[in-house]
Amino acid sequence: MTELVVDNVQKWLGGLQILKGASFTAQRGSIVALLGASGSGKTTLLRCVAGLEQPEIGQIVIGGKTALDSDKKIALPPEQRNIGLVFQSYALWPHRTVKENVGYGLKLRGVAQADIEKRVQAILDRMGLGHLADRFPSQLSGGQQQRVAICRALVYEPRVLLLDEPLSNLDAKLREEARYWIRKLILELEICAILVTHDQSEALAVADNILLLQDGRIVQQGGPQEIYSNPNSFYSADFLGANNVVTAKVRSIDGTSAVIGGDDWSLDGTVREAAGLSVSETARAVIRVERISVSDRPEEGGIEMSLDDSVYLGDRWEYRLRRGDFVAKAHGAEQLRTGTVWARIPPESVWVFSAGR
Amino acid sequence: MSTHTHAPAAVALTKATAEKKYPARMPRHGNAGAYRIIVIGLLAIAVLAPVGLIIYQSFLTAAFFSPRAQFGFDAYRYVFTDRTFYQALGTTTIFAFGMVAIAVPLGGLLAFLITRTDIKGRRLLEVLVLVPMFISSIVLAFGYTVSVGPTGFVSLFVRDLIGIVPWNIYSLPGMILIAGLSHVPHVYLYVSAAMRNLPSDLEEAARTTGASIWQVSRDVTLPMVLPALIFAAALNLLLGFETFGIPLVLGDPNGIMVLTTYIYKLTTLFGTPTYQLMAVVAVVLVLITLPLVWMQRRLLRNARKYAALGGKGSRVATLKLGGSGQLIALSIIGFWLFVSVVLPIGGITVRAFVDAWGEGVNLLDQLTLMNFSRMFEVPSLYNGIVNTIILSVVGGAVAVAIYLAVGLAGHRNWGLSNTVLDYIILLPRALPGLVVGLAFFWVFLFVPLLTPLRPTLVSLFVAYLVVGLSYGLRLLQGTLIQVAPELEESARTTGATIGRTWKDIVIPIVRPGLAGAWALIMIIFLREYATGVYLMGAGTEVIGSLMVSLLQTGAMNTIAALSLISIVLTGAGLALALRLGAKIHD
Repeated sequence: MTELVVDNVQKWLGGLQILKGASFTAQRGSIVALLGASGSGKTTLLRCVAGLEQPEIGQIVIGGKTALDSDKKIALPPEQRNIGLVFQSYALWPHRTVKENVGYGLKLRGVAQADIEKRVQAILDRMGLGHLADRFPSQLSGGQQQRVAICRALVYEPRVLLLDEPLSNLDAKLREEARYWIRKLILELEICAILVTHDQSEALAVADNILLLQDGRIVQQGGPQEIYSNPNSFYSADFLGANNVVTAKVRSIDGTSAVIGGDDWSLDGTVREAAGLSVSETARAVIRVERISVSDRPEEGGIEMSLDDSVYLGDRWEYRLRRGDFVAKAHGAEQLRTGTVWARIPPESVWVFSAGR
Repeated sequence: MSTHTHAPAAVALTKATAEKKYPARMPRHGNAGAYRIIVIGLLAIAVLAPVGLIIYQSFLTAAFFSPRAQFGFDAYRYVFTDRTFYQALGTTTIFAFGMVAIAVPLGGLLAFLITRTDIKGRRLLEVLVLVPMFISSIVLAFGYTVSVGPTGFVSLFVRDLIGIVPWNIYSLPGMILIAGLSHVPHVYLYVSAAMRNLPSDLEEAARTTGASIWQVSRDVTLPMVLPALIFAAALNLLLGFETFGIPLVLGDPNGIMVLTTYIYKLTTLFGTPTYQLMAVVAVVLVLITLPLVWMQRRLLRNARKYAALGGKGSRVATLKLGGSGQLIALSIIGFWLFVSVVLPIGGITVRAFVDAWGEGVNLLDQLTLMNFSRMFEVPSLYNGIVNTIILSVVGGAVAVAIYLAVGLAGHRNWGLSNTVLDYIILLPRALPGLVVGLAFFWVFLFVPLLTPLRPTLVSLFVAYLVVGLSYGLRLLQGTLIQVAPELEESARTTGATIGRTWKDIVIPIVRPGLAGAWALIMIIFLREYATGVYLMGAGTEVIGSLMVSLLQTGAMNTIAALSLISIVLTGAGLALALRLGAKIHD
């Protein structure tokens, strides 16, 4: 069931357009991640959905109710949108206890006091916070505060839950735990959630659907695997994953396959973006680091490269490879001796794009 | 919501703006727009009505309620051909600049010693230095009269010692010196704030290259705090043009007049009130002060920019004064404190408990509590004390509530209404208390609906409200801005309207700040004396204004007792403010 429709939302700040027509939909029981670098407009888009920012153009429908319609000049204030928003800083009210923080939304909705107590206690118990109900936010750890913030946004069962970088204030270990339980919770409660993040691994791990934003536009959307393994632009390909970016001349193009190369090397690749690509012009290729396998023995289809160094990373080794002006990184399980090695780079993993401007 | 009603206009609007770079803004609903406009509009009326009435009155040939009143420039003609007016204008200018010349260097020095050096007893000094600021200048001026006036306690003591009194405070230099000394805290407040924000490594670097403390302060510290010093100078210049108490007490006996006392004297000059002349002088005064206020605003904006460059959270390491340095520094501050706090307050304290003094009078023989028991016998005095307490305690609380309502109207507000609010808040700073009081006196006479309120405390309260507006609103805006925007936004997304958000989130969070603001406003109202001069009547006396009128009769015993009561009340207010954690430092 579609809970959120965002259609052609455009927003200006001063003379600058920061959202250039974003459209997407989100379903109940699924998580949509708005992923992008800082300044891509992802937080602004979320705030437009929440009603905290007012776009000049666009339509937003939340739970079947029009929240924004620039043609009909409808713009509901945040409190009439029936949403829950979890802030990056959690924004717990310092003068209210955990119980009062969480119960506030119910109180505003006119729920009876006894009912409020019951529902607040139930959700706190569920999050393992039951014993903290009478504490003040300042007495809680960062992880506990975050869970309280989520409780506060969820307890009144909003149609859409909005999360603005909810994990960025947690330390690395807590973060991995948190993204697992947040996903589990949302799927269990079958609510519609929109998550803003700049952290690709967070988006990949949590979301059912990822919207990649660049410069106020959604440049690609799809499931995590789709968006990771099938990028439609150089930006998408480069933004996700750990990559080798190679600039080279196009030797030949044949349908979707192309050969690129430099001084004394060439690589078979796949054309991902045909526009602007022609023989003997410059092109850019993206190769995911994990797609290159390196061996110190000659291998079928392997390209001979020189290994400058092996860098120890704890769980793996990183190889620094070079052949002429082709420089690449790859990973492997063991240390290899510097010198000549053979790198296998499958043609379907060499994504060729035009060089852009 | 009335979204459908303005649909046709909206279509036209979109078409008109289609050619422009970006489309029209969507209307902002649920942002308490109506509330903001009503509050700001009411405030504008409260501030602009009296100013407008003064301007109107200045172009009439008689009092505005007189049937003979006609439009004309007679009043301007009279004032601009009056030699006394030009004398007063000249005196005011000399007085204001002289005051700045004394207060700014001394205030800067004190700020440097207290914030940048390891001077002993810093905690205590920080509070003591501010004391003269909290005492009304009429009380201070009276204090100097009884201690170092021609027959003051100290003067007589010195004359017994050396045969003559080597000073005369009833002169322009005397007035300037006393006003300069008592305005040191106003300089100290701003300069010390700037100095606290200076990263001390700059000074340390200079010290390590071999510069002495004084070279460091001259070559490094001084240029860095120059914007703050200039701002303080502009502020004091403004205060100098607006002073009333010191010239009234010290200048009047010898006929030395400034613009404010000139206005005051105009009342009695002709036997009948010459409102049109008073209005003209008030207009002239405001024409001088308004550019000063505008200049201050510009300076403050620049000073903020400047301060932003300084390292935030930088450690303030203090300069070591050394043994003899400590002695010199403490002597400077001690001497200043003696002259500007101990002399006037000490004088008042002694004077309040004696019946008569003069040559050959043994003070111990004259000890009495009579001066205070009179307070209970004379209704006007008794009323004055009670009214002052009611106005400052209750009125102060109501004023904070009103400033809060205005503050919320301007809180996270943009656009035209906020610009209007900005200027409305600024205007009262250009209005001396005497002029505000006069203007409201006229407003309450002029508007038939308000006339019944004139002989009540309400009229005084409204005038006080405008007098304290700039300061009070700045206090509250400073407090409101500290509430993180997400705390309000999270309430909104949780389902609270903007009104509920203010009630449930913003106000509870700023409550400690409100208490502090209340205590500070209370002190402002306690020390106010000029505003009530015209507004006060039988039953609505206040201490400060009573003193102004008693000065004419020379009832020294009563004035001394009232002064002491005023000081004690102010002290209590200050203690309460410190206790409530009020931020005296901006």
